[in-house]
Amino acid sequence: MTDMLQKLKNAVRSRSIHVAYVDTGSCNGCDIEVLACLSPRYDLEQYGIYVHNNPREADILLVIGCCTPQWEDKLKGIWEKIPEPKAAIAIGNCPVSGCVFNREGSYVNPPASKHIPIAASVPGCPPRPTEIIRAVLSLAPTIFADYEEKRQ
Amino acid sequence: MGFSIIWYLREFLRAEWLRNFFFAKTAPLVDPPYFRGYPALTGKECTHCLSCMMICPTPGAIEVLRDGETWTPHIYPGHCIRCGLCVEACPEDVLDAGRVLETQKRDRTDISVRYQVTVNPDTCVRCGNCVVACPVNKEADPQLGAGGTSANDEVIMKIHRGNLWVVHDEKCTGCKTCESVCPTTAIRIARVAEGRQEVGK
Repeated sequence: MTDMLQKLKNAVRSRSIHVAYVDTGSCNGCDIEVLACLSPRYDLEQYGIYVHNNPREADILLVIGCCTPQWEDKLKGIWEKIPEPKAAIAIGNCPVSGCVFNREGSYVNPPASKHIPIAASVPGCPPRPTEIIRAVLSLAPTIFADYEEKRQ
Repeated sequence: MGFSIIWYLREFLRAEWLRNFFFAKTAPLVDPPYFRGYPALTGKECTHCLSCMMICPTPGAIEVLRDGETWTPHIYPGHCIRCGLCVEACPEDVLDAGRVLETQKRDRTDISVRYQVTVNPDTCVRCGNCVVACPVNKEADPQLGAGGTSANDEVIMKIHRGNLWVVHDEKCTGCKTCESVCPTTAIRIARVAEGRQEVGK
């Protein structure tokens, strides 16, 4: 019975992925690409991905931007607000390396993996909507599969 | 309450709903053909001129590394912003990304790089260190004076009548040796990259 329930949960979780995104000081390029995923050309919701701006109802956090010092504690707070099972994806070069902002004397603190655990990163400046969707679709089933069994 | 549970069961146990939810057919995710991906090697030989590293706008995105007997440019995703400038700047077409090379051939465009030598006359003390240190000057005039004087007009810069003259800054290779030996940081080398297009024909 629990096995069946787990399988049902796996099936539902891989088809209904709720995503919240947080901009920790980017140039807005990656935000625009995340929004472009919602447009009719890519139509995010046909893959079962729903974008909210609320961490309380999210499964996946998209971290955008190069983590300015003001965001260090707030990013952690947002990550703690997401209910389990959860995962964070770094979108763009900024949370990976800081990219063009990570120069001598600049006021940023990348990578984002310093502050919260990052499960995957999508490099690009900005990454294409197809790459973002592909990352979410390939990550979510592997992270969320058999979550209750893994926790025991 | 009971009514709403029955309503939910009726709504979500419909065969059509279940089929749509579990066997949803979605369009395949395809990148459009004009998408400029990360620069990839075309197989041509790299001459280690480092044009790609010099034109790259991002810190740490491209590095030309020694690979046995040859040199190979390495691209680091997470740093590279896929602007395609390294592809355009490379004189040997070692790299290619999307349609960049194709477009460049069709439009006959290229990027030319020259170096501009600027001397601040207010801080320059006319010591002639830059003239003596410059490796191009040493080639052009082996009899260069210790104070930076030269009878030759082929040098990049020289001290003449107590002043520093920049004669041929188009010969500069951008090594910046002069910047490192200048006691007052009066001399500055700026790299000027210009996009050019052949017109006519």
